[in-house]
Amino acid sequence: MTSEAMTARAEMGPSGAFAAKLSNESFLSLFMVGVLLALFAVACVFVPNFYLPRNVINLLTNYWYVIILGIGVTFLLVTGHFDMSVGGNVALTGVVCAWACQAAGTSPNELANGLGLPYGAALALALLCAAGVGAVNAFFIVRLKVPSIIVTLGTMMLSRGLAQVITRGAQRNTSLPDVFGVLGNTFLPGTSLKVAVLIMVLLVAAAFALERSTVAGRITYLIGANAEAARLSGIKVNRHLTALYLLSGLLAGITGILLASEFKAGVSSRASGYEFDALVIALLGGVSISGGFGSVLGMFVGAIILSVVTSAATGLLLSPDWQFTLKGVVTFLAILAQRFALDRRRA
Amino acid sequence: MSATELSSGPYREAALRVAVKNLYIYVVLLLIVAGFSLVRLGEVELFGPGHFLSPDSLINMLRTSAPILTVSSAFTLLMIAGYIDLSVGSAMSLTAVIFALLVREGAPFALAFAAAAALGVGLGALNGFLVMRLRITPVIATLVTLSLYKGSALLIVPSGLSAIKGRPGRPMPAWINDYSRAEVLLGLPWAFYIALLVIAALVVVQRRTLVGRYAAAIGGNRTAAELSGIDPVRWVWGLYVVVGLCAALAGAARASYMSLGDPLSGDGMELDCIIAVLLGGTAFAGGEGSVGKTAVGALIIVCVTTGLMTVIPAFWQTFAKGSVLIGAVALNQLLTRDRPKLA
Repeated sequence: MTSEAMTARAEMGPSGAFAAKLSNESFLSLFMVGVLLALFAVACVFVPNFYLPRNVINLLTNYWYVIILGIGVTFLLVTGHFDMSVGGNVALTGVVCAWACQAAGTSPNELANGLGLPYGAALALALLCAAGVGAVNAFFIVRLKVPSIIVTLGTMMLSRGLAQVITRGAQRNTSLPDVFGVLGNTFLPGTSLKVAVLIMVLLVAAAFALERSTVAGRITYLIGANAEAARLSGIKVNRHLTALYLLSGLLAGITGILLASEFKAGVSSRASGYEFDALVIALLGGVSISGGFGSVLGMFVGAIILSVVTSAATGLLLSPDWQFTLKGVVTFLAILAQRFALDRRRA
Repeated sequence: MSATELSSGPYREAALRVAVKNLYIYVVLLLIVAGFSLVRLGEVELFGPGHFLSPDSLINMLRTSAPILTVSSAFTLLMIAGYIDLSVGSAMSLTAVIFALLVREGAPFALAFAAAAALGVGLGALNGFLVMRLRITPVIATLVTLSLYKGSALLIVPSGLSAIKGRPGRPMPAWINDYSRAEVLLGLPWAFYIALLVIAALVVVQRRTLVGRYAAAIGGNRTAAELSGIDPVRWVWGLYVVVGLCAALAGAARASYMSLGDPLSGDGMELDCIIAVLLGGTAFAGGEGSVGKTAVGALIIVCVTTGLMTVIPAFWQTFAKGSVLIGAVALNQLLTRDRPKLA
C-alpha cells in the first residue's frame, strides 16, 4: 500500500487504523472466511443436517490430504510456479512404500512379491522417491528454466507411470506387514479423528509460521513479487526454488505414505486429480500467481470452501459428475470476487 | 565477405546449427519409424500383416491422427504468441458429445458438423475472454474452462451411461463413421484430408500472413508489439477462437471414428499438443515456432503411441508418454538455447 493511502486510512480513526494495519493477505483471508460462512449458511438451508457438529468436523477434516499437498503448491504458487506433479507423486510413494514392505520372493504372483524391507527403510525409500520427483522438477524448472506447468505435467505422468509399472496397472495390497496399516488407521485418543488430521494441522501451523516469521518465508514472497530484484538483492533464488520443489515433493510423499497406510494398499490410480484440487484450494484462498501474494491460511479456508461445496452437492444428491463443473465455476467466481474486493480496497 | 571467409569457422558452425535445427525433426521421425519397423521383424514380415508399415497399420495410424494434427497446428500459433490453452482436450470431448447427440437425434451430418464447429468457436471465445479481457493467467483460466467443459460433457451424457451411443429405438446411424473411416482417397477418410487442409492453411497463415507475424511479435515482446500498434487482445482472442474451432473439428472426427460421444475422449489431448509443439521446436515463451514442424511432431507422437502399444504392456504407456514429454522438453531446450532470454 502506498504511504498516502496508509496516511489517509490512519486518519479515519481507530477502526480505520485497524483496517490499515490489516495486510492485503489477511484481508483476503478474512474475505474468504466471510464467503465460507455465507456458503455454509446457504448449504445449511438447503441440505438437511448440514449444521450438525459431526458434519462440521467432517467438513474440516475430510480434505486433509489435499491441504497437505496445498501447502507445497501454495508456496510455489506464491513464487509464480506450478506443481502439478503432486498427484502422481502421492501415488508413486504409496506404491513404493507398499512394494518395499511386501515380503520378498514368497509367492508365485508377481504382485505379491516385494523388497522385504523393514517399515522404517520402506518409509525412507518412499520419501526418497518423493524428493526425487521434486528434484527432477527443480532441475528442469530452476536449472533449465523450462515453464513449470509443462515440466510438472511431465513429472506427473512419469511418477504415475512409474507407479503403474510397479503395480502392473493395478495395486499392491498383499503380504504387507501389520505395521503398514498403523499410521493411517490410528485414531487420536478420545476422538474420531485420524492421526493424519493431526499431522495436517501441525504442518499447516508450521507452514504458517514459516511464511510469516522466518526469513525463508519472506524470501518466498520476495521472489514472487520480483524474482530479478530478489536475485540482485543477494537472495539465492535458484537454491530457494529448489528447496521449495523438494518440500512440495516431500509433502506429497508424506501424503502418499499416509493414504497407502489408511487403505493398506499401494494403488497406482490414487490421488488422481489431487493436483488440480490443490491448485483450486490455493486459488480459492486468494493465492495469486503474480505478485507474491497469498497465505497458507487462505489455502486452508479455500479447502474448507471446496469441502462445503462438494459436500453440499453430494447432500443435494447431485451426481459426482457435477464435481468438475462446480469446481470450475467456484474457482472462477472466487478469482473474480477476490479481484473485485482487492480493487475496491485499493480505491 | 568473400566465399572463403563465409565457409570458415564460426560461420560454418552457425550454418550447421541452423541446419540441424531445421532438419532434426525429420531425422527423429525417420528413426522412430525405422525403429518400430525393425522391432518385430522376427515375427512378422516386412510390410506384411501386423507389421508397423503394413498398409492396414499405416492407414489406421493416419486415421487416428486426424484430431491431434488439427488441434496441434492451431495450438502452435497460440504458443508462438506466448499463450497456452489447457482446455483443448475437454473442448474436444464436449464437441464430440454434442456431435454424437445431434447425429443420434436425427440431424444430418452438415448440421451436426456446423453446430459442433460453432460450439468450438464459442468455447474458444470464452477462453479468449477470460485470458485477454479478464486478464486471468492463461494456465489458470484454461484449467478452469477445462473443468467447466469436462463437467458439461459429463453432465450431458445421462448418468449410468459412459457415452452418447445408440439407444434401443434410437440407434446411432451407421453413416456417422463415414467422416473418419470411409475411404475417400488412398484409403484415407475425409477427416484426415480436412486435417491436412487445416495444417496447410495454418502453415500459410503462420509464414505468410499478418496473423502469423503478429503472433510472433506478441510472443516475442508483447509490450513492443502493443507500442507498434498491434492489439494483442484482439489477435490472441482470435487465436483462442481458432484453437477452439480446431478442437471442435477434432471432436467431430473422434466421435465419428468411435461412433459415440465419449465425454472423456479428449483427455490428454492438451499434453499431446504440448509434446508435439515442443518437438517441433517452438520456444516456450513464444516468438518463434513452426506449424509444419509441429505437424511432424504430432506424427511422431502418433507413431510412438501406436508403435509402443505393440511393444510394451499397457501399464507402461503413461510412463512412456511422460518420458517422451520430458525428452521433448530437454530437446526443445537444446534447440532454443541460443535465443536471447528476456527477463
